[in-house]
Parts: sequence; C-alpha cells; structure tokens
Amino acid sequence: MDVIEPVYALLFSRFVPTYHVHLQVLLGMVLLYVLFKKPDKQGRNAKIENELDIINDWKPEPLVKPVDPNSRGLNPPVTKDQIGKHITVDNVKCLNLATHNYLGFVNDEEIEAKAVAAIRKYGIGSCGPRGFFGTVDVHLELEEKLAAFMRTEAAVVYSYGFSTIASAIPAYAKRGDIIFADEAINFPIQKGFTASRSHIKYFRHNDVQHLAELLEEQSLLDRKNLKKAAKTRKFLVIEGIYYKTGDICPFPELMELKKKYKLRLFIDESISFGTLGQTGRGITEYFNVPIEDVDMIMSSMEGSLASIGGFCVGTTFVVEHQVLSGLGYCFSASLPPFLTVAATTALTVLDQRPILVEKLKEKCEEMDTLLRQSSVLGRFFKLSGFPRSPVKHLFPLKAEDDTTVRLEAIVSLCLKEGVALTVPPFHTEDTNHRAPSIRVTMNLKLESADLVLAVSALENAALSVFAR
Amino acid sequence: MHAGGHGNSNPNTNYLKSRGLWLTYSIGMLALHLVLLSVPPLSIPMAWTLTNQAHNAVTFVVLHILKGVPWIPPDQGAASRLTHWEQIDDGRQHTKTRKFLTACPIILFFLTCFYTEYESHHFVANFISVILVTLPKLPQFHKVRLFGINKY
Repeated sequence: MDVIEPVYALLFSRFVPTYHVHLQVLLGMVLLYVLFKKPDKQGRNAKIENELDIINDWKPEPLVKPVDPNSRGLNPPVTKDQIGKHITVDNVKCLNLATHNYLGFVNDEEIEAKAVAAIRKYGIGSCGPRGFFGTVDVHLELEEKLAAFMRTEAAVVYSYGFSTIASAIPAYAKRGDIIFADEAINFPIQKGFTASRSHIKYFRHNDVQHLAELLEEQSLLDRKNLKKAAKTRKFLVIEGIYYKTGDICPFPELMELKKKYKLRLFIDESISFGTLGQTGRGITEYFNVPIEDVDMIMSSMEGSLASIGGFCVGTTFVVEHQVLSGLGYCFSASLPPFLTVAATTALTVLDQRPILVEKLKEKCEEMDTLLRQSSVLGRFFKLSGFPRSPVKHLFPLKAEDDTTVRLEAIVSLCLKEGVALTVPPFHTEDTNHRAPSIRVTMNLKLESADLVLAVSALENAALSVFAR
Repeated sequence: MHAGGHGNSNPNTNYLKSRGLWLTYSIGMLALHLVLLSVPPLSIPMAWTLTNQAHNAVTFVVLHILKGVPWIPPDQGAASRLTHWEQIDDGRQHTKTRKFLTACPIILFFLTCFYTEYESHHFVANFISVILVTLPKLPQFHKVRLFGINKY
C-alpha cells in the first residue's frame, strides 16, 4: 500500500513509539509562541540603524540662508527681446557668447513660422503625459525622424532636457548596480545617479588609465563572488563633450574598455549632438564607431536644436523600456506640440544642410586659435576644451579665494563692452564642483569680426581686473 | 512596468492582506485534499501525507525560494534580494498574515498525524517537511541565508 514503506522500514522500525508526542508538543509550543507574540511596530526591511541618533543629531537649516548683498540672485541681469546672435542685458545690446544655441536656430524664420502654425493647429500645451492623452502625431513624427537621423532603431522624446538624462539612467540602473562615470559629469547625470541608488565609481576626468584600474579592481572582486557578479549590472556613463570643461571624451579607448569588461555604455550628447561629426550625428560619427555599439545615447534638444526637451536613441528594446519605466516620460506632461514641431523642423534643416556643422566647426576652431594666441589671456588663463567644441572654458591659472568674484567682475566689464559671457554657477547639490571659469559659448551667427571683438573685450577686462 | 496606485512602495504582498484570503486559502487546501482522496489507489493516510507534502512544497517555493517582485518597483530594487515571505508587511514580524501562514502548515501537520494514526514512516516524512517550512518563517531567520543558499 505505502510507497514509502520499504525505504523507511529498515531505518525506523525500532523507534520508541512516544517520540512523535515529544515532537508534536514542541511544534505546538512553537505555534503558541508565534500566535501570542505581539506584532512589531516597525518593519524590518526599511529599518535604519541608529535612527534615534540621526534624529537627535539633526539641526534644521534656516528657511532662508544669509545672502551676500552682491549675489546675482538679488541683482539679476534683465534681458530683453529674443536671445539670438545678440542679447540685450540691462539695456546694453551684447554679442551673445553665453547661451546654448550652437547652430543659431533661435530666431530662425522657417522654424518660427512652423511653430506658429502648430500653435494654430494644436494649441499651446499638450495637456497630458505621453501615455495619457498627451501623444500627438508630431511627437511620433519627431521620434521617427530622430531615429532615422541617428540611424538607430528607435527614439523616445522627453519634455525636458534635464529630466531626459535624470530619468533615462535610473530606468536601467538599480540598487546594487555599479556605475562608472567621469568625475566631471554634469548635474542632470548626477541626479540620475542619485535616483538610481547604484554604487557610483568616479574616475578622474578623461583618465582612461584610472578607469581601467577601477574596472580591474572590480573584476577581481567579481571573481571572488561569481553569483553576486552575475546579478550586478555595470554601466559606463560619459558625455560626448563635457559641459563643465568643453573636453571631448577619449571615445575609442573607452569603447575598448566597454567591450573588455562588458559595460553598458550611456552617452550624454547634449553638446556633441549637432556639432560633432561630418553631419552633426555626434561622437559616434566623429570617431567613426558604429552607433549600434553604444547602448543608449541621450541628448537634450535645448542646444543644437534650439527647442525644449530631450531624447534617447538606441535599439527598440532599450527605447521601449523607457515608455513604461522612464519617470520623466511617464509622469510629465508631454512636450508641447509647437516645440516638437520646432525641433522637427530644426532637425530637418540640420539633416538637409550639413554645411552648418562644417561652418560651426570653422567658427569654433577660429575662436580656439584666437583665445590660444592671445598673450594677455595666456598670462591669466588656461583654455580648456577641444578646438571643435562650441563650449570653451577659461580656467584661471592661479586659484585664489576671490577668483569667482574676479571672474564675475571680468564678465560684467565685458557686458558693458557689449560681449555677454558667463561664469557658470554650480548648483549647491552638485557634488563635482570644478574650479571657477569663464565660459565662452559659440554659435553659428557670430562673424569673424565678432570673435575678434569678443576676445579683445575679454583681454581688456582681464587686464583691468587682474592688474588691480 | 512600474507598480503603482496602491500607496505602497512595494505592493507585491498586498494580496495577502486582502479580505477573504484566509477562506480562499483554506478552501484551496480542502480542494487539494478532496482531489487526492478521490484517487482510487491512494489510502486515506497516503492522501493526507500527500496533501501535506504538496502544500508545504508549494509554499516553500513561493514564500522562501522566489525572490524579488514581478514588476519594476518604485523602490529601485530594495526588495530584489528578499523572499516573498520577507516582503510581507515590509518585514514586520508577528503580524496576522504571518501568524496565519505559520499556523497553517503546523495545523495541517497535526491533522495529518492524526489521520495517519501516528504511523512512523508518514510521521518522519511529514515532520521533516513541516520543519523545512516553519524554520524560515521564524523571526530569527529573517534575512538569514544559511550557508549562502539562495543569497543572490
């Protein structure tokens, strides 16, 4: 009758018949213990160690921190009119070397006309997130065009450049994963890292050797615990051209490391999109690397395309994941249709006239030469940045306490001379402050004479501030 | 896909708190037992032992082997290395759900012992299985992985 009988017959036939009574009583006591215990007040999974100490140590910050009376926040420069080649700051018409408009698409008549027509057709806003009545035909058209332009399988459009990058990263990187990143990465990427809750390992700016060391260290750890390593994803996040330094990333070397250590590569092309490569297709075109080798490219559309929003391109699999997991895509109202049309039009112009990219390259290189040749600037500043980069930074040779104040004095003197520059501010939460610098941002509308004028204004201002 | 709409950062185990769960669970066990009883070659003691073994095997896999959640949680993977049992009530111990789920296999074991007339072969097999599902349910074994089994 019993299937298990023959197996146990040999082993247990001489057992004392009372053993099961003892065991049952034991089990019954376990049951009573479990049933009559009071429930915990707090869950154990999200429990924080030393919680009381942390609460006791907490000192609330003042609602408003003391503010320097000379701070920019209290004396904001007032601009008028549209910001294109020129910018009117405090009633002075200046050459614009301050805002990001690399290809000069701001004020473009064709783009404006199309955007106005889109307002007549669709109204101002889109009134909903993409998954919730916010998708309009123009969004799909822009995504199709972006994918075709970048020669990838698919593209996804976000409504804000910052949140594109800050949402795309945590859609893939999760708790327990490891992200390797350049220490000079911009603020949106850092916010994405925070949201991802992954371990972040920074390598020194553009230092491939340092990255290789970190990766080697990690692979040693992985070999000790293969099971854990199999569940840990590893990412590499870089920028095409770094916003904070204007340097180009050493892409071929990074690609080698990516292949060797099987990293997932995300590139922020906010600056390099539309400015690098023969036809503005970015860092992959510049280094002639197949775009399929990069897992995802993210970019804001607020630079070259002179609209608002951002996009990610990659394989259909990678892109579609964001449709349900990119927080900025799921929970933000979609890009207003007229801005979408503006971006589509700008992209079409860029696609049809790659000569624009070539011209921008010449301008940027010309400015690079001018800044490097200037002996006055050479005495005080070190020019950072790749010659073709539309973003150039002048870092002071000597860093002192009042450097930022001095740089701001230079910038305001330049403003009076009719040249608008900026000292890029860092957000207080930015964990990677670089040394203060003066940023020169190029756009296609600037003529050679304008560049000479800008450099001479900068020289005069630097002389009068630093010679004091 | 993102989980949402429950006001809970990990709604994976919410169903265990839902109304009628205890009744459904008991009916399920009874149905399993009746099905086994109706199989002609199985004697009554055998049907009870098989009910006990099947119940314990299924709950062991579901509660103590499977980890993580079936969707992308808004907690960025906080529960990815926790078993289903450990996720119940955010790790609170001795809650009603936990008491019910702990009591079930023990009571089922007592019934099985009674209906198998304390026959030692049945007893040993059933005792081993009830210990295997009861031990990991104790608060002392919360987040403990003996010998690193099922750790990652």
